[in-house]
Amino acid sequence: MKNPPAFFWLKLAFRELLNNRRFSLFFLFNLALGLAGFIALDSFKESLDNHLGQNSKAILGADIALTSYLPFEEKTLDALEARFPQNTLSTRKTSLFTMVATEDQTRLVQITGIEKEFPFYGKMVLKNNGVVESKNVEQSLALSGEAWVYPELLFMLGLKLGGSLKIGEKKFRIADTVLDDPSSSFSSFGLAPRVYLAYSQMQETALLSKKSRISYQRLYRLPDGTDLSGLVVKLQNKINSFEGSDSKIRILTHKRAGNNLGRLLGYLNDYLGLVAMIAVFLAGIGAAYLFRNYLVHRFREISILMSLGATRQQTYRMVLWQLGLLGTGAALIAIIISLAILPLLPLLLKQFLPNGFETQLSLGSLLFALVLGGVGSLVFCLPVLSRIRTVQPLQLFHKNIGQQDATPVLWRQALSYLPLLILSWSLSVWQSHSLIVGSAFVGMLLASILFLGSIAWLVLFLAGKLSQTSGSTMKRLAFRNLQRNRTGAISCFLALALGTLLINLIPQIYQGLQEEVSRPDDFRIPSLFLFDIQPEQMEPLQKTLSAEKVNLNYLSPIVRARLEKVNGNKFDANSKEVSLTREQERQQNFRRHNLNLSYRTQLSDSEQIVEGRPMTTNFDLDSGKPAEISLEVRYAERMGFKLGDLLTFNVQEVLVEAIVINLRRVQWNSFQPNFFILFQPGVLEDAPGTFVGSIGGLVASRRMNVQNLIVSDYPNVSVIDVTRMVGRVLKISDQMVLALRMMAYLSILAGLVVVFSIARHEVEGRLWELNLLKVLGARFSDIQKMIQIEFAVLGIFAGLFGVAVSLIMSYGISWWFFENLWKWTWQTSLGSIIGVTSLSVGVAWLATQRTLRSSPLNLLRS
Amino acid sequence: MILEIKGLDKFFPQTDHDKIEVLKNLNLQVEEGETVAVVGQSGSGKSTLLSLLAGLDRQSSGSLRLRGQEISAMSEVKLTQFRAENIGIIFQQFYLMPHLTALENVSLPLEMFGHKDSLQRAREALLQVGLEEREKHFPHQLSGGESQRVAIARAIVIRPAILLADEPTGNLDNATGVQVSNLLFDLVQTTGMTLLLVTHNTELALRCSRQLTLQSGTFQ
Ligand SMILES: Nc1ncnc2c1ncn2[C@@H]1O[C@H](COP(=O)(O)OP(=O)(O)OP(=O)(O)O)[C@@H](O)[C@H]1O
Ligand SMILES: [Mg+2]
Repeated sequence: MKNPPAFFWLKLAFRELLNNRRFSLFFLFNLALGLAGFIALDSFKESLDNHLGQNSKAILGADIALTSYLPFEEKTLDALEARFPQNTLSTRKTSLFTMVATEDQTRLVQITGIEKEFPFYGKMVLKNNGVVESKNVEQSLALSGEAWVYPELLFMLGLKLGGSLKIGEKKFRIADTVLDDPSSSFSSFGLAPRVYLAYSQMQETALLSKKSRISYQRLYRLPDGTDLSGLVVKLQNKINSFEGSDSKIRILTHKRAGNNLGRLLGYLNDYLGLVAMIAVFLAGIGAAYLFRNYLVHRFREISILMSLGATRQQTYRMVLWQLGLLGTGAALIAIIISLAILPLLPLLLKQFLPNGFETQLSLGSLLFALVLGGVGSLVFCLPVLSRIRTVQPLQLFHKNIGQQDATPVLWRQALSYLPLLILSWSLSVWQSHSLIVGSAFVGMLLASILFLGSIAWLVLFLAGKLSQTSGSTMKRLAFRNLQRNRTGAISCFLALALGTLLINLIPQIYQGLQEEVSRPDDFRIPSLFLFDIQPEQMEPLQKTLSAEKVNLNYLSPIVRARLEKVNGNKFDANSKEVSLTREQERQQNFRRHNLNLSYRTQLSDSEQIVEGRPMTTNFDLDSGKPAEISLEVRYAERMGFKLGDLLTFNVQEVLVEAIVINLRRVQWNSFQPNFFILFQPGVLEDAPGTFVGSIGGLVASRRMNVQNLIVSDYPNVSVIDVTRMVGRVLKISDQMVLALRMMAYLSILAGLVVVFSIARHEVEGRLWELNLLKVLGARFSDIQKMIQIEFAVLGIFAGLFGVAVSLIMSYGISWWFFENLWKWTWQTSLGSIIGVTSLSVGVAWLATQRTLRSSPLNLLRS
Repeated sequence: MILEIKGLDKFFPQTDHDKIEVLKNLNLQVEEGETVAVVGQSGSGKSTLLSLLAGLDRQSSGSLRLRGQEISAMSEVKLTQFRAENIGIIFQQFYLMPHLTALENVSLPLEMFGHKDSLQRAREALLQVGLEEREKHFPHQLSGGESQRVAIARAIVIRPAILLADEPTGNLDNATGVQVSNLLFDLVQTTGMTLLLVTHNTELALRCSRQLTLQSGTFQ
């Protein structure tokens, strides 16, 4: 016996697909939609990732940096640098805080010494000389003992460009002002204005010899494609093996140099990844569902082929060809769609995307989509495919082909889900860049499916019970149908419920994120920030300002302190953990001794207690109890502080004990002076401190006036113009809200398409029976009623439980990914339930309407 | 002798202890070129017997030899191949592939095994059943009688040693049924094929060289 020609089964497979055009088109459409969504989101995400990477690299000025509070020893540095890949570039940077003085004024400034190559990333822009050429940064600074300063310093000190400034022991000429400095990130706006010097001239200031706290940095530019986290682990291991001060060398990566904005853009990134995953899952469920229906209808043809001498393997092969054709076809369509649409995205979103943002279709995600289309559709349909095993050509001698469900072997059935599990798992680990988070996501999805499955079983059981009790014939028939066609009904229920779950998940998560990202209500955009206001200056300053009709807002005291003990144990600021996960990475950065404390009782609009009770209004010294403090929740998490922890602070050599009474969340973009640690009143009032505050709503000219006024009357007060920075941050947060919302809508849309196609196919499967009922003389209205009851029951329960599970799951995801930012909005939930129910009933109604109108001839024909 | 059945039993397990015995100690010998009709009440096990002969199901015990080969001893793969070469089956419901034309349906069993002249032979078979004009038509464009004739062409195209037919005229009206059965017997006669035919139709049964009645699991 000969083998069939190579493409015989392919040809046959293709013919069958052509013949079942409706199925094929729906399948293609459904899968292509999901894949196109995936490609678009993935590319967008990758572009965003790149953009963020560029941003965070610009903030650090490098890929990675080593910092130390002592000069690097040659030998130590050699040992560490041996671990860098070849062709790594490096540059040195030193910075310290010091006071600078003119004849009548002194200010705190940050002096930063830089040499050539700085910065490796980002562009520093000077007022006169434009963009700084990193090649000859040092020469231009060093030649004439020049300095570049932040413009506000000129204000504060009453200096002009070209004037001279004495720093330590040396006089520098102010050669230029710094207009844009990517390394002055949002988070550092509370710090003193910066002065840039040539690295080589730092020594001449004689400041390096003093006791002052100096930060020595080595910045590195790594060759493309270096495994950053691997390098970090290697370096950290080496550092851990050092003794003494060398063991306190810290590693900074550009990822950790990020700030609030980085964190939020990171959210956006994770969120997009999640949406992309869900697009794939939705498409997969839709595809598997469509395919299941298709395959059941192919059972007879498969039987015929087998009776003509085809082996089971060959029929498998034919169906596999079909899946492969459809999957690859869908992927190709998806690629074409995204090729067409993605170039338009930046045009459409021009207003909203950050400057210099480029959306590129990554070849990687295209290839991946192609593989996902082919392999993914196989994997998703494998559980269904394994039902070919149950096909018995012997049934050809009897009537009801495909009706009978041979009991599937349980372990084999379970095994057929294994590839799906593995695929989903690797996909979500890959998307979330975290083993734990990815596994948790898949775990939650799995648990949801099992739960929904048992609910489905229960609902059908009840439907069976209901069908026995009295009621109209049609009602009983409807319930009996549901119960009898159990596998069909369960899979329909599951598909609908999972669809609802996934539809609801994104908007639900969006709600929480949106709260965090969007502009705070009732908020006064600050223009100027004031630091170092002495207590005795408060009253006159406020008087001066109100004479100008300007208000000083959000006035807060600052008291410097050191954290000595936690629950009686000495606080260890330098932990030696090797960073592995993002979660741990965040923690490391924050273990520091020096803290800014503040005190007040009233929380501001942008603050909210998430755990614990409000602090009492006044500290009672005689009670002997520790003072009450409130911690910012994220800070507390990073430091590992909990409610009830006892912290001992050294406030100017006085030890103060305090107990954590509550944790509060502070909205990041409120632009108010925020403090990690707030004391209750009555504790810190006597400790020497200063005040900070902000002034809002000033136009450019007024800003200048007010600034001058403050500087001339209160020379020690630092004023920083934050208008530009605030504007930039707000713009980005608005963009993010928009992006989040758009994605939420898109996922709803995609989900509804899937729900629609599921419902439609479910009805389609019932048409034969409807026709029969019609031929038997059942009234149209009765048939309609029966179908509607069935689909309403399915829809309501699927919607209800889908939403319920999505709430639990979104809570879990928010907890894992988005630091517990979760908010329930009943509108979304209710909307989903009503939406899914009415969609399934509506689709059922439309489809039956058509059948009932058509002649029963089709029935006789088939 | 082309077919030899000895002590054939077939039962379907019902519950753990209970089973339906459909065929009990069945014996039958059929010579090459014979035409045998099997009649019997509904539920007597006629289709069950055919499905065993076609190798689509396995007997519970006993021996079933086709062309001297024991069917129950064959592996699934071997059996499939044996069926493809030796057994033609005609069903009551025709069972044509809906998306293939008449010609494609007929050539399917040949093409599946890469016969070079499959189209040629399929055309011949269609000619034999008198449907050469309809080769481009799809099953839904054919009448019941025509569909069954296509099915017959598909069964004989492989030149089987034995032709199994389960109620081939059961879905057709009388006149058409007669036409189709005429065709079937003509073909069997000219080609010398062996035919085993299951029917309720006594007239049809009487056209066979031998009639057997299946009752209580055995031939009476
Ligand atoms: N898979 C099965 N499981 C259980 N019982 C079966 C199975 N297949 C057939 N039977 C039983 O075997 C008996 C014979 O069935 P079969 O289909 O062979 O009858 P038949 O003679 O072809 O009837 P008809 O003339 O109505 O086609 C019937 O009682 C039937 O219920
Ligand atoms: Mg029968």
